[in-house]
Amino acid sequence: MEIRFSAAEEAFRADARAWLEANVPRARRPVGADLRSLRDYDLAWQRRMFEGGWAGVSWPREYGGRGASLMEQVIWYEEYARAGAPEVTTTFVGLNHAGPTLIACGSAEQKAFHLPRILRGDVVWCQGFSEPNAGSDLASLQTRAVIEGEELVVSGQKIWTSFGNVAEFQELLVRTDPEAPRHRGISWVICAMDTPGIDIRPIKTLTGDQHFCEVFYDGVRIPLRNVVGRLNDGWRVAMATLGFERGTAFLSEQIRLARRVEDLAALARSVPGPRGGRAIDDDELARRLALARAEVDAMRAMTYRSVSLAVRTGVPGAEASVIRLFFSELVQRIDLLALDILGPAAVERRADGAGARWADAYLGGLSQTIGGGTKDIQRNIIGERVLGLPR
Amino acid sequence: MDLTFSPEQESIRDAIRGVLADRIPAPRARAELAPDPGLWREAAALGWFALGLPEAAGGAGYGLPEETILFVELGRSLAAGPWLGTVLATHALAVIPTLRDELANVVGGRTRVAVVDDPADALGEATRPAGTVCGVADGDVADVFLVLGGRGVRWVAAGGRGVRVTGRESLDPTRRVADVSFADAPAELLAAEAIPLRRTALVLVAAEALGIAERTLEASVAHGKTREQFGRPIGSFQAVKHRCADMAVRTEVARSIVLFAAVALRDLEPEAPRHAQQAKVLAISAALANGHDNVQNHGGMGFTWEADAHLYLKRAWMLEHAFGTRTAHLDALAAPWRAG
Repeated sequence: MEIRFSAAEEAFRADARAWLEANVPRARRPVGADLRSLRDYDLAWQRRMFEGGWAGVSWPREYGGRGASLMEQVIWYEEYARAGAPEVTTTFVGLNHAGPTLIACGSAEQKAFHLPRILRGDVVWCQGFSEPNAGSDLASLQTRAVIEGEELVVSGQKIWTSFGNVAEFQELLVRTDPEAPRHRGISWVICAMDTPGIDIRPIKTLTGDQHFCEVFYDGVRIPLRNVVGRLNDGWRVAMATLGFERGTAFLSEQIRLARRVEDLAALARSVPGPRGGRAIDDDELARRLALARAEVDAMRAMTYRSVSLAVRTGVPGAEASVIRLFFSELVQRIDLLALDILGPAAVERRADGAGARWADAYLGGLSQTIGGGTKDIQRNIIGERVLGLPR
Repeated sequence: MDLTFSPEQESIRDAIRGVLADRIPAPRARAELAPDPGLWREAAALGWFALGLPEAAGGAGYGLPEETILFVELGRSLAAGPWLGTVLATHALAVIPTLRDELANVVGGRTRVAVVDDPADALGEATRPAGTVCGVADGDVADVFLVLGGRGVRWVAAGGRGVRVTGRESLDPTRRVADVSFADAPAELLAAEAIPLRRTALVLVAAEALGIAERTLEASVAHGKTREQFGRPIGSFQAVKHRCADMAVRTEVARSIVLFAAVALRDLEPEAPRHAQQAKVLAISAALANGHDNVQNHGGMGFTWEADAHLYLKRAWMLEHAFGTRTAHLDALAAPWRAG
């Protein structure tokens, strides 16, 4: 057992750190409702990484990626967060889901056309999986696609499509065989978002932002050649890379969380406590902070363990679902602690105070245990797939 | 970087697990008060007490991670006896050439050592301890006490002049405690600094707690698969399944930070002291919560003396009170933020 990295890995770290220090954008990432500016900012940064040879660190070299080993990916994401590089949001689906899916299951033409565009930061991808009646139970999706000649004609509705209103392409799951068992009649399709018949309506979330969308399809004609993998085999295609959705990309979030705890400790030294003095002088708040840091350190150790298990065995381990659940609830505990430390400033939303920032993080964090599988589904997965309990 | 067990470490673990399973077969046997002398002899013969010593000192040449493996197994099996003090003593004695015989006796299983943890120096700082420390785990079966003071480490014969040992039951039927009084007892100063041993102790106690978290998770999962109500295994119900999932999360959290802390401490990483305390806090939390949930998951049987669910929970509480409670460690971890 070893927690140090090898000399070659440390050399990789030095390269990554030097490049990030010189290239991380100085301009702050635009916040608020202006998704166009956000998109432009993210794509410009993606282009910068592409030119520097750092786009798609986990992608194989033959598809233009860096081809980094798992350990190098760990290091890259650690350094990425350490350098304060932009969070991956609008480019997330393309880089971490649609791209890897195309690499695993796409045709030569699909790869040749789409992969360079994703890596270069030319396009934004969004996901069209969830439906109003297919959330946790994704396989019950009902959006229909009927074959007419060389085209699929799609009708139905998707929901919770992040950045659907600023995306060029969508990874779209449709039912192409309504007679087949529910996991069998689904196809994974590349959908151009400017196709006639698509209506995109933003959903205002409880934080007030509008990056989620509902997408309506009314006789949308998609070429059959846009099917990825075989027709009616879309469930397997979608599952083939579901692990990518989190994977090592998740590490940056953890490092950011570690920094948030340190920021919170600094905040607790500067704001009044519930019984006079500073917040940090309150025993309960101080202990919760210390526990939060312990849990963040434990999560890093869990991730290291998970990655080194994957290196040893060659396959991602089941403990990824354990990390996932622990992380989502830890984020919420830390967000809650922040509001308890802030006291009344948490609700006053003064323009000059830190309160609004922490309050927004708390509200945004409520989605941690919903998106990508609710915490209840995560517990089912752990119970059934990790522990082997009966369904 | 690699936080997985090597094939060699896996075989160490399997060998230890096999011996403990043979020696401690039935749950009821765990409630026997006295440590099994046969097991103790076998452990010595297999070199368990000296896993972490260099080969030149008669050890196996491993380190804290392998000792951690041993203590996880001891926790899983609820083994009785002063394992912790005996292993710590080998570290303390190994660096003192004049105490070769004492070291050989400890390594050989002829001298059993209990730890007297005295961080506030209730026994004074002088070479000869004076005063009383209560609740010394396995104090009444020890031949020698390893006294960890605020600074110094002392070696005091249990049967010697000026030492009185009063053994009594504890919450845990598998672990007795003793009140140990010293009156100007002859002692040998082994080290001027107790902090390194105390950090090792934190990790090993955390490892024992991790073993309890693991074992109670496994017991609950096994019960959930076989116990049927309403015509189905109870593990198919989300209320039970989700509780087991939470037990699994706590166990993995504890396992990760315990192993990380063990390696960090072995390699003298600057953050190792912090991780040792974090490991203690999180592993005890996992053991206590899993121990509790395991009683719950076993329903009425879980509440009986006959089932061993209570023994794990009780041992977890003993470990909470060894080398500082969760509250004490969290306060210590928060102290740098509060200073100034």
